[in-house]
Amino acid sequence: MTRADPEYGHLIPLLEEYAATDAGDPRRDTLRSELVTGFLPVAQHIARRFSNRGEPLDDLVQVATVGLINAVDRFSPERGSDFFSFAVPTISGEVRRHFRDLGWSMRVPRRLKDLHVSINGVVSELSQSLGRAPKPTEIAERLGLPVSEVLEGLEASEAYRSSSLDEMLSSEQGSATVGELVGEADAELNRVDFRQALRPVLAELAPRERTILLLRFFGNMTQTQIAQEVGISQMHVSRLLTQTLDRLRNRLDPETRVS
Amino acid sequence: MSDAAAPDPFGTGLPLDTQVSRPRPGTVLLAVDGEIDTLTAARLQAGLDEAVDASQADGSGVVVDLSGVTFLASSGLAVLIGGARRLADLGSRLRLVAASRAVTRPLQVTGADALFDIHDDVASAVAEATGAGASAGDKQAAPGSRPSHTAAMPPGVAPPPGEVGR
Amino acid sequence: MSDAETLDGMSTVEVRTSATAALIPTIRAVASDLAARADFDLDAISDLRMAVDEACATLVDAADPTSVLQCRFLVRPERIRVHAEVEAAKADTVLSTDTFGWRVLQTLADDVEVLHDAGGEGRRATVGIRLDKSAGDVPR
Repeated sequence: MTRADPEYGHLIPLLEEYAATDAGDPRRDTLRSELVTGFLPVAQHIARRFSNRGEPLDDLVQVATVGLINAVDRFSPERGSDFFSFAVPTISGEVRRHFRDLGWSMRVPRRLKDLHVSINGVVSELSQSLGRAPKPTEIAERLGLPVSEVLEGLEASEAYRSSSLDEMLSSEQGSATVGELVGEADAELNRVDFRQALRPVLAELAPRERTILLLRFFGNMTQTQIAQEVGISQMHVSRLLTQTLDRLRNRLDPETRVS
Repeated sequence: MSDAAAPDPFGTGLPLDTQVSRPRPGTVLLAVDGEIDTLTAARLQAGLDEAVDASQADGSGVVVDLSGVTFLASSGLAVLIGGARRLADLGSRLRLVAASRAVTRPLQVTGADALFDIHDDVASAVAEATGAGASAGDKQAAPGSRPSHTAAMPPGVAPPPGEVGR
Repeated sequence: MSDAETLDGMSTVEVRTSATAALIPTIRAVASDLAARADFDLDAISDLRMAVDEACATLVDAADPTSVLQCRFLVRPERIRVHAEVEAAKADTVLSTDTFGWRVLQTLADDVEVLHDAGGEGRRATVGIRLDKSAGDVPR
């Protein structure tokens, strides 16, 4: 069922035409441009939903547009679903992957991401022929690589390394650490309770520290953004946040020590 | 790239992100990214509750996209199983999108995979959930088969399906 | 394939962390790494990682907040034994084996055991879990 949305209705026949054209057809590029341009507001809308996480909106729109291009290329009208039900998850999936990759990119080089792809490529084939999941040595032999490389590639796919150990353990971790203080496991709820508990304590802070804390936890700004806003260095912001949070921890519950 | 974006790219302070949305009328999608373990299971629960609640407004199907999940602990399994049960009581099946071994293996080795409809890509899960949502409508007083009424966005307004909650 | 690339003999690896859920991902990573180096198949690696997570999460829950979580891995050819332990919150702390998590742990590992030590003079009460996992192509 295709919803006859007046905004995008004119693009539906183009989708069908595009799906029907062969790779070599000169009309293909034109159609593709028209489709991507036509559906661009969809990509922009989806990008905007993620705009409060410290990533520039332009970058997100770019990523979302890549998702849209993939959706246009991969959509097949005869499958019966309408384009939006295919495109919207495809585009948001691309943006979500961007955020997942952010957690990795500082520590996982391109080489390992490519390796991860190669490994995935042979695993199901090997599983079929072996009748069980393959071992690293079997994968290595199949790919013609040293086992040590396969081990690296496997490791890269396993951990979501959004935090370095320092960040995980430091007081400047954000909602999760604060969550331990107020005894809730859910980060969203933590933020709400945190505000209540924090009110009297905020009043005790010096204006600049208070501003920095509010910007970090309620404005959800990064340290660099705060630094620019307040007019000091990012390192200074980091130090002030650590100190302030330490004092807050002691103030909120002197019996609690975050391990 | 901003300095603190890497440590907390989901903006949640946790290594888990959940997003509830309506990719099309008739389907509610919970997208999950990161690790599901004792630290983050409560967040998954909150997201799933929100998705199931939203689906009850119009008899929508529910899809949980786990393709971005790198680890699934028993606490996460328990949340998913609870969700499957809740939906079963309401007459439908929870659909999962599971592509990586970190998710498929726990489901398979515990036998929990029998409780869900499992897809390896989100587009097919969404397409089928909509069909299921609409047909489950006759088991309850559901407006699920009236697309123009359940559209999350008013017709004629630019971008398509809006979000549920956040 | 040389010894440098995989573990052919017996090795012991011990990890000690604060008994906090935030550090369990690190212990999981060690478990995966060891199983991969011991050439476990991918399903066995996944199972061990999940089993170690389950054991550690259960123990952290029962632990005294100031306790250390100690996790020892004994890597033999074809089999890894894990011994995890914390100081108990109370001397009479008992781990429940009647939970969903415990049943999952029993499914994942070849063998699991709870170890209680009530402590005594100068020794804190401890609670631990020992589990074994084989490389994967051993008939169960």
